[in-house]
This record gives sequence, structure tokens and C-alpha cells, in this order.
Amino acid sequence: MSARSGTCIVVGASSGIGLAIARRLAQSGRKVAMLARREAELATQVELINDTLGRKAAFAFVHDAADIDAADGLFARIEQSVGEVDELFFVAGVMPEVGAEEFDLGKDRQQVVVNMLGCIAWGNAAARRFQQRKRGAIVGVSSVAQDRGRVGRPVYNASKAGMDTYLEALRNRLWRHGVRVTTIRPGFVDTPMTAGLKLKGAITADKAAQLVLKARDRQKAIAYVPGKWRPIMFVIRNIPSFVFRKLSI
Amino acid sequence: MKTPTWNDEQVFGFGMALGGPAKVLRPTTVEQIADAFAKVKKDGGSVALRGAGCSYGDASTAKGGRVLDLTAMNRIESFDPTTGVAVCQPGVTVRDLWRRAIGYGYWPKVVSGTMAVTMGGAAAMNIHGKNNYALGPFGECVKSFDLLTPSGQQLHVTAESDPDLFHAAISGFGMLGCMTRLEIQTKRVHSGRMRVYGIVAQDLEHNLQILEDMHGEADYLVSWLDLHAKGIALGRGIMHRADQMKPGEDPEGLRYFEPSLQDVPLKMFGAVPKGWLWPGMWCALHFGQVPLVNWLKFQAGSREQKHSPYLQTHGAFHFLLDYVPRWQWMTKPGGLLQFQPFVPKAEGARVLRKLIEMCHDAQHVPYLGVLKKHRPDKFLMTHAVDGYSLAMDIPVPTSQKGRESLWRHCREMAEIVLEAGGRFYYAKDAVLLESSFARVHGEDAVAKFRALKQKWDPERLLQTDLSRRLGV
Ligand SMILES: Cc1cc2nc3c(=O)[nH]c(=O)nc-3n(C[C@H](O)[C@H](O)[C@H](O)COP(=O)(O)OP(=O)(O)OC[C@H]3O[C@@H](n4cnc5c(N)ncnc54)[C@H](O)[C@@H]3O)c2cc1C
Ligand SMILES: NC(=O)c1ccc[n+]([C@@H]2O[C@H](COP(=O)([O-])OP(=O)(O)OC[C@H]3O[C@@H](n4cnc5c(N)ncnc54)[C@H](OP(=O)(O)O)[C@@H]3O)[C@@H](O)[C@H]2O)c1
Repeated sequence: MSARSGTCIVVGASSGIGLAIARRLAQSGRKVAMLARREAELATQVELINDTLGRKAAFAFVHDAADIDAADGLFARIEQSVGEVDELFFVAGVMPEVGAEEFDLGKDRQQVVVNMLGCIAWGNAAARRFQQRKRGAIVGVSSVAQDRGRVGRPVYNASKAGMDTYLEALRNRLWRHGVRVTTIRPGFVDTPMTAGLKLKGAITADKAAQLVLKARDRQKAIAYVPGKWRPIMFVIRNIPSFVFRKLSI
Repeated sequence: MKTPTWNDEQVFGFGMALGGPAKVLRPTTVEQIADAFAKVKKDGGSVALRGAGCSYGDASTAKGGRVLDLTAMNRIESFDPTTGVAVCQPGVTVRDLWRRAIGYGYWPKVVSGTMAVTMGGAAAMNIHGKNNYALGPFGECVKSFDLLTPSGQQLHVTAESDPDLFHAAISGFGMLGCMTRLEIQTKRVHSGRMRVYGIVAQDLEHNLQILEDMHGEADYLVSWLDLHAKGIALGRGIMHRADQMKPGEDPEGLRYFEPSLQDVPLKMFGAVPKGWLWPGMWCALHFGQVPLVNWLKFQAGSREQKHSPYLQTHGAFHFLLDYVPRWQWMTKPGGLLQFQPFVPKAEGARVLRKLIEMCHDAQHVPYLGVLKKHRPDKFLMTHAVDGYSLAMDIPVPTSQKGRESLWRHCREMAEIVLEAGGRFYYAKDAVLLESSFARVHGEDAVAKFRALKQKWDPERLLQTDLSRRLGV
């Protein structure tokens, strides 16, 4: 178990993995600031947590991660109204449908801004404070999709690789200050994001959340969720390019 | 999109004992339903509306005729997390609905014992749940529906806009038009689990006593009856009571708002798929071992009672049967018939005792009995009474003689129920005759229903084997 007791921020907490993480954090006794765009969804989930637990554990903050200039100010506002933050979970992510022959800059920009720049904005806001306080943890949800550039979703891959590398650098900067940074690379998880896709062997969002929190407790640098994806991705990473480009995976 | 075509298929009721070949069309849009109506009208025929086909008898079959199967229209058009209101196409199932709702802390107000039923079928039959005595039937959570009438009119109906049509189309077993969209109100729950009690009931009267004692506080009550028990044990069983949690009562229940954690494992001991259980159940049924199985189950009830209350997910409490796939196949090849009389409270003990005794005398002992409590409602073709219902599952013999004997036995039982002022439910009926129709609902209600049928479907476009049997 984590020894921490401060407030947690979960960016991307209105559904899927982020919501499941927020629920588990709240249930373990923490205060959780839940951030996302969809106001009704977010309000319902916050109410549901507080109602089920019978105490005020969750707090809603409507926020668009694409609004990167707002991150630092919102971080301060959360600390003011809920309490000092010692954990940040950046889970927000978008993965729009992209056709095999489509090169749509609008969709590409959205993914880079939300998945990568959003993570950087919140990562910086947390790092600045945690480094000074010499404590805290940052968990970023990347993806197995970051391990290779693939035909299906070029910019999803690129945006996740960007955030993943940023998190690695952050980890290296901050560990000497006692701040832990964990990168999560989920495989298939059954969430609204993947609702239309038929993913074999997908785990539940709650299971993913459980594994994310376990990785954080063990202060892992990089965790594949579930762990079986580590050897799978090892193989995929090592397929030579002249073979990989012919594959449709 | 490809336009669907009429296919030759075998269409049976859930009990597999009624039905036969029919031409089946699976529309995906309202326009396709309207086109189908127009075509059938031109050909001078009739058509039966069908949801998931979970009615046990002939309510959604049309032997030798045409069937409009609405299961392909299965999209939840919207779910409002603030109000818990879902806008559904008619083929959306109870399963689709609860999986969407539970993640936001909502649960359908009224569900049947299987989650396979569709919104259209649930509304047309006005189904009841294990909380019928408290929350009423399915119709009471329908805020509005769109109805496509046989003449091609599209109506938006609420209890205020057209009270007669609203209260007759719901409960009217698909006779007045096709529901093409339904607005369903769900209810708030404060945990993904409920508190469940197993209570041993020594006989029928004890069962009824528990229903009377507990219905004020309990959210759900249902009793499994061992109908093989005789003498002083007649009507013994295990009552299950479930109560919803209040805010703050079950913090651990927070995780269970994830839909997949509502499910019961489909494997036993982590290895044996429950889809393979039915052959074992088949053997028990066909080699006369049901009394033994029931006895074992009843004995297990004491242990359950000792460990009560315990916590159970909503899904597990309501749909345990669904996690034993194809259980009904144990009654093959004859299939099964369900007979579910609804008896007024004052006559409950006498009539139900008499019916169970008749089953023993006629040697058509149900392998399963389920007892529930009900309250009256304002729907025209309602099956509910201020009293009790006992659903009896009876295997259908394969021989013609055996079948006739079973039907005769059920009609004799029906006579006793009707004399006592009882009612029947068409999702579960296979035996009533035209002459009983007015006795179930009263002359006035039947006259009103026939008038509505004449108004909205004068050419009798909508017919099922059931409606022909009842002379609607
Ligand atoms: C295992 C099991 C347990 C059950 N438990 C319960 C229970 O606890 N309580 C209970 O009340 N019932 C119960 N039932 C019965 C079931 O709920 C009803 O038979 C229900 O109507 C089935 O819905 P369906 O979608 O399968 O419809 P079907 O059986 O296909 O059709 C039912 C009726 O609805 C009409 N219909 C279908 N769609 C439409 C539409 N779009 N517009 C207009 N009319 C339409 C049909 O013409 C037919 O008359 C149970 C059934 C099974 C198999
Ligand atoms: N599901 C998988 O198989 C899988 C696999 C690998 C990685 N991942 C990653 O896991 C993370 C969570 O995804 P999920 O599967 O749980 O899907 P999800 O249910 O769609 O969750 C995404 C969450 O991010 C929020 N979000 C999206 N855009 C946002 C924005 N601009 N600003 C603020 N919040 C935003 C969403 O809320 P709003 O829409 O309300 O803003 C939602 O709460 C994502 O980063 C995804 O890339 C998922």
C-alpha cells in the first residue's frame, strides 16, 4: 500500500481506466480531484462515489486537457479547495477512428495536444511542486501502441511515444528528489474507447486500475498492464522494419 | 445498407413446445417495418411482432405465417446520466440496458428472470419483477413510446397524451402497433450489490406468511418452491429477500458499478463451462431424479439461511439462470410449458394448495415453482392482482396422449383460478381458450380492448398464434 494520504488528481476520470482508478483511490480513503470534459458524466460519477462511500471523497473539475495553459492554474486551485496534492494520474487520451488512407491534420493535432502536450502540461505542474516538496508520485497512462509506429494509427502511436519518452525523462530528473514516476502501458482494456473494437482477451477497467495502483506501490518505472504484454511487445519491437512494414498489425 | 429479406425459419416459443415454420424479417429501421406492414397488407395476410422470443408459449409465434423480429433494432440511442432515462430502440435487451445504466449507478426498475428480453417485448407484455408488489410492472417505468400503427401512422404516446392507447399498448401483447422507440426510466442504486437473505419456508402457508410479513421493508421477494414435496411439507421452499443498499452502507460496492463485475462466472470451479450443465439436468429430469435434486436444494437452504445476509451483485441476484446457458434444453424433446396463475390474496393459500395437489394427482408435477407477490396496476390487459402468482414449469410429454393430458390438466387448474377471481399472463400461457378471455379481464376491459383493436388495426394485420387462440 502507498504511504501517501494527500489529494490525488486524476485527469481523464469520467470513464474507463481513469474512472476505475478514481474509484479505487476514493475507496482506499483518499480525496480525489476528478477531471474531464463531459460535465454530466463527471458530475454523476463524482456523486456516485460520494453517495456509495457515504462521505465526500471525490470532487469534479471540468477541464479540457487540450487547454494546456490552464493546467497549472487548475492544479493550484485544486490544492486550495481540496488539499495538498501528492499524486497525479494522467489518464486522459483520445484515439479517433482513422481510415487506412486518411491523413487528417485535425485529428492528428488533437491527439498530440491531448495525449502528449496535456501530459506535459500536467506533468510539469506536478513536477515543479513535487520536486520542491521532495515527495509525490506521477503516473502516466501511455499504451502498448507507443512501442512501434504502425499502419493503423500513426499519430496515436507517435503521441503516446512522445508522452512515454517525456515521462521517462521526468522519472530520471525526479528520482533524485524522492519523486516517483511510473509509466503504464496498457494492452487491451474493455472501456468506452474500445467499445466498437472486438479485442480478444481484454481486461476490465477495474482490473487495469488495480494493476496500475500495484505498479505505483511497487514504484515500477514501466509497467505493462497486464504483464503478459511485456514479452509480446518485446517480440513486436524486435521485428525488423523490412518485415514489419509488410505486416498489418 | 442491405434491405433485409423474408427468410424461412423455425419460430418457437421459449418452451419449444409451440410454434413452427414462418417467414421472418429482421428490420433495422422504422421505414422497413412500415414497408413490411404495407406488403403484408397488400398480400392480405397478417404478421406477428417478436422480440427475443422469451415468451414461453405462442405470444410471438405465427405457425405458417409471418414474423417481424425486432432484435436487430438494438441501439440505446441515448442514456442521460443525470436522470437515468434511456431512449431505446425496441430490440434493446434488459442486458444492454443494465450494462449501460450500472456504470452510472442506475438499474432498470423492473427486470424479468432473464435479461434476454427486449424493451418492446417487456412493454408489450408489461412484465413484472421480483419487486412487483412494490414498484408495479414494466409499464410504470415507460415514460413514452413511439408506436407505428398497422395503417402506417407514427404516434408518440405518453400516459398523458393518450391514456387509453398508452395503457392498452403496454400489456396489449403486440396487437395495436409496433413500438419503435421507448423512453425508459431507471432507478438509482447506492452500491453495485444488494443485501440478500435466504429464508427456509416449511410449507406453502409459511411462504405466504413471509411475503406478508416482509413486503413492507424488502425491496425484492421471491420464493423457489419444491413442488414435489407432499403432506405437511407441501409448498415448502426457500424465500429470497434482497434489499438495496443505502448511501454509505457498502463502500466496497463501489467497484461493482463496473458492468463486468456484475456477471456470474460462466464456468464452475473455474473450468467446467456451465453451458454443459444441461445434459446433467436432462438426465435428472428424464430419470425421475427431480425430487432428489429438489430435496438437496431445500437442505442447502438451511445453510444459506445460517450465512444470511450476504452480499450479491444485482446481476447475480436477478439473472442467475442466464449464467446456466441453454438450461431449458433439459426438457427436450417435448419442451416445457409454464403455467402461472395469479390468485387474489384471500384465496391464495386455498387455491395454490389445491393446484399443487392437482399436479400430484395428475402426475404432471412441475420441476420448478416460483412464488411472487403482486399488486394491481392500471394497464388494460393486466395480469396482476392483489395477491400472489405461482409460476410452474412443467415438462411437456412427447406423446400426443401425454400432451393432451397435460393441456386438460392445465385447463382444469385454470378453471379453479378463474372461479377464484384469478388472472393469467400471456407470456406464460399456452392453454387458455377464447371463452376464458373475458373471465380473465372482465367484459368491460375486453370490450374496450377490442374497440381499440378495431380503431388502430381494423384489418387485423397484427396477429399471433396467441391472439388467434384468444379470438382477439
Ligand atoms: C427464463 C425466463 C424468465 C422469465 N421471467 C419473467 C419474470 O420474472 N417476469 C415476467 O414478467 N416475465 C418473465 N419472463 C417472460 C418474459 O419476460 C416475457 O415473455 C417478455 O415479453 C419477453 O420479451 P421478448 O423480447 O422475448 O418478447 P417476445 O416473447 O418475442 O414477445 C412478447 C410479446 O411482445 C410483442 N412484441 C415484441 N416486440 C414488440 C414491439 N416492438 N412492439 C409491440 N409489441 C411487441 C410480441 O408480439 C409478443 O406478444 C421470463 C421468460 C424467461 C424465458
Ligand atoms: N482501452 C484500451 O484498450 C487502452 C489501451 C492502451 C491505452 N489506453 C489509454 O488509456 C487511457 C484511458 O482510456 P480508456 O480506455 O479508459 O478510454 P475512455 O473511457 O475513453 O477514457 C478516456 C478518458 O479521458 C478523458 N479525456 C479525453 N479527452 C480529454 C480531454 N481533451 N480533456 C480531458 N479529459 C479527456 C475522457 O473524458 P471526457 O471525454 O469526458 O473528457 C475519459 O475520462 C487513454 O489515454 C488511452 O489512450 C487505453
